Amino acid sequence: MIFQIIKKEVQEILRDGRFKISFFIVLFLLVASVFITSKQYSSINEQYDSAEKNERTVWESQGAKNPHSAAHFGNYVFKPKLPLSLLDQGVDKYTGISIFLEAHNRNQAQYSTATDQTALSRFGELTPDFILFFIIPLIIILVGYNSFTKEIEGRTFYIIKSQGVDGWKLVIGKWIAALIPTLIITTLLFLIAGIILSNIKGFGVFSWSSFGILYLIYLIYYFIFTNVILLISSISKKSGIALVSSLTFWVLACFIAPKIASNIADSKYPYPTQQEFSENIAKEKSEGLDGHNPWNQKSKELEEKVLKEHNVNSVNDLPFNYSAYRMQKSEEYQAEIYAKHYKKLKNQFKKQSSIYKTLAVISPFLPARFLSMSIANTDYQSHINFSDAAEDYRIKTQAFLNGNTEKNSKIGERYVASADTWKDLPRFEYTPASLSEKLNENTSNFVILFLWFSVTGGLLFLTNKNY
Amino acid sequence: MFLYNFKYELKSLLRSKWLFLLSTILLIVMLFAGYNGKQKVNKRIEDFSKITAQTEERDAVMLHVLDSLEKGLEVNMSNNLLPNNPMNVGYRYPKVAALQPKPLTFISVGQSDLFTHTVQPKIYGDNFSYNYSELSSPVQLLFGSFDIAFVIIYILPLIIIAFSYNILSKEKEYGSIKLLASQPISIYSWLLQKVTFRFFWLTLITSVVLLITFIINGFDFGDNMGAFLSLIMITTAYILFWFAIVLAINIFIGNSAKNAVSLLGIWVFVILIIPATVSQLANLAYPIPSRTKMLAEVRNVKKEIAEKQDKILDNYLRDHPEYASTGKEINYSFWHRYIASQNLAEAELKPLLASYTEQIENQQSWIENWQYISPAVIVQQSFNNLAGTSSAHYQEYKKQVVAFSVKWKDFFTPLLYKSQPFRKKMYKNLPMFEYQQPKIASMTFNAFIILFFSALILTFSWLFFNKKSEKGTLIN
Repeated sequence: MIFQIIKKEVQEILRDGRFKISFFIVLFLLVASVFITSKQYSSINEQYDSAEKNERTVWESQGAKNPHSAAHFGNYVFKPKLPLSLLDQGVDKYTGISIFLEAHNRNQAQYSTATDQTALSRFGELTPDFILFFIIPLIIILVGYNSFTKEIEGRTFYIIKSQGVDGWKLVIGKWIAALIPTLIITTLLFLIAGIILSNIKGFGVFSWSSFGILYLIYLIYYFIFTNVILLISSISKKSGIALVSSLTFWVLACFIAPKIASNIADSKYPYPTQQEFSENIAKEKSEGLDGHNPWNQKSKELEEKVLKEHNVNSVNDLPFNYSAYRMQKSEEYQAEIYAKHYKKLKNQFKKQSSIYKTLAVISPFLPARFLSMSIANTDYQSHINFSDAAEDYRIKTQAFLNGNTEKNSKIGERYVASADTWKDLPRFEYTPASLSEKLNENTSNFVILFLWFSVTGGLLFLTNKNY
Repeated sequence: MFLYNFKYELKSLLRSKWLFLLSTILLIVMLFAGYNGKQKVNKRIEDFSKITAQTEERDAVMLHVLDSLEKGLEVNMSNNLLPNNPMNVGYRYPKVAALQPKPLTFISVGQSDLFTHTVQPKIYGDNFSYNYSELSSPVQLLFGSFDIAFVIIYILPLIIIAFSYNILSKEKEYGSIKLLASQPISIYSWLLQKVTFRFFWLTLITSVVLLITFIINGFDFGDNMGAFLSLIMITTAYILFWFAIVLAINIFIGNSAKNAVSLLGIWVFVILIIPATVSQLANLAYPIPSRTKMLAEVRNVKKEIAEKQDKILDNYLRDHPEYASTGKEINYSFWHRYIASQNLAEAELKPLLASYTEQIENQQSWIENWQYISPAVIVQQSFNNLAGTSSAHYQEYKKQVVAFSVKWKDFFTPLLYKSQPFRKKMYKNLPMFEYQQPKIASMTFNAFIILFFSALILTFSWLFFNKKSEKGTLIN
């Protein structure tokens, strides 16, 4: 019986001209968006590779110079574009693409794509995630809004009932039928993406299991939408009302709730301004150990401590270059200050996340969006991981450079390290978080999504009409 | 007849509680949006006051120290920090180059969440290294803000669609259209009157709701009446555009549910697909120059000039100019060389950076021309322009900050070359930053373009109506 209901529904859907037009438009948009995104993806990765190589060459060919000079010359690390960003670009556009690593300062990632674009791009971009999150639910609405109301309006409900069909079978049949177009589009998109991804040379950290989980997340998101749309159709008396109510839900879930959440999060847990943030760090730095200033209070304290430890009277008698040692200690001290302030930012974001989770009560879009970005490694946490890895590398680089001076020179000496020193610095490596780490981070989002699915599913079966 | 129609519509609207529901929804969302916008503006003003107060406090100390130095008194400050050294003033006592909010900033967040509004250009360092991006969670940037512009651009058309998608089709479905057709009025005039009537009420309600929101947010109507009227004009034209679409669809398609689906399709196209496509096409026509590539090129240039700079200046002091003077005397010859080394770097990087800026500007101007393809984009650009939060405003801000930083450097450089110390009396002549608003497209022109869209749709719908009437497919 369920199969017959599905067959009937699919036939009706196929007869509908609006559906055909919409289906092909969405398919065209999807193919176009995947094509454009994959082009961008390959060109960004090529640029990334060449920039990374160039940076290393520039670093290694600095010639003979003082290591601290090399520390100021610094190095750039570039954020790689990860394979699943092809499907969900997440917040990538709003985070910088590279970080300049230098002595004394922790710089933030710079040059986000959004800052180079016009306000037009804030409407949204033709990317697969835009279509997956915003447009495909519209297809579900288009197919499902009159699922039940049409039977009442066309007075066919009695005919169906007279066939002896059980309520739950009718619901299941209609549910599956309403999902078929969405399943076709989504599966097709993932197939194309899978083919593209497996053909990209050296696609590095791509994992099929992440790909599969991502597919599953979208499916659950669409299941929830189908539940809600059929529920609305089943409790509405007219198709028009069902359609308007379904659209209200779509706008509320996909547009209004995220914006409201963002506004509440910002006003409740605001970030400091760039100015405040730098000012606070500068203030703390000025109160502590300064590698360049032997006369400052903390420098004097360190000197006393080191002299005592080595049981000598003057820094000249130490077995290493004391000024490089002080420089390193100051770097470590400053790195701690940075870590403290960046931790405050992270905590602030954690608190903001709780607002997003609370508002997920009115929008299944929120947990689905966070999950998808996270699995695709394009969420804020992934960016934080990258900038933390860059900071670790900066600290190690400073230790390497100061260590070189400390070992190879004496205090007061104008030390010049040989030209081949720089290639001894290990290269920057960044490994994105693994799938299991990502899944652990997102347990609550999964729970919220499953709750949405079960509650709306339960309601749909409970409101099984009796006419 | 018009009067009858007017009375009938008003009665039926009041009976269905349409007006009440509409006014309530609009008032709630608009007040919330206005509150959000105002909060952001208040924070911006507060941040500016904080930084100005800090700067003034610092300057007061500097003037006090200068006064003591000029009187030959002892001062409690490290020698390398003394403000009689022009370089110290240029580095440690920078002025604030701020982009102040406009009276209408609270209506549209625009690009303001991406950029910082206060930069303090200093005498060391190159213009290239200024960071204009604001510290914010990228998730917030991704989701955007619930502001008045969002309510008008996204939600208002949906309200129009939700309440008017079936104005003609309903008559058909109830069978009352035959009765209407027998009246001494053309159905097109009747429909036009009905739509005009709804347009009139919605415009009135929106204007009143906006007025209330503006009053609550303490908007100064006396000085900014023009800007407020521009906002109302653009909004009215936009409302008219959507009513024209509703009318056309009611004529083209004759079934309520089909009307709603088609109208929604148009909403998605006008508001989501067209802007997204224009944005993508702009990337194809004028690809945004890759910043990754730019950084690689900057690095190559910097490496090459480092050797030349080394000839001018010791590399340690180039990295740490603050340690150039340790004694009481200002080491002028060092600073001459320092400026020369900085100028060298700037001159070498200038053509490279200029080529990147030019490409970005080309893309932006391309988009500006293409904005006229969708009324939603025109409204967004107009609101951002009124609010001073458009891309052009921030592009101009960056340019003016760079120009100001040159002015700031130019103030101190002659002192160095003449080996003159900085004196207290020079303080009042220090350059100050004042943001000059960029030229923006005329609001009347923008409103005219939206009206043109509406006129076009109305003409087509009229032609189609006549065709349908001739065929007799309008009623049956």
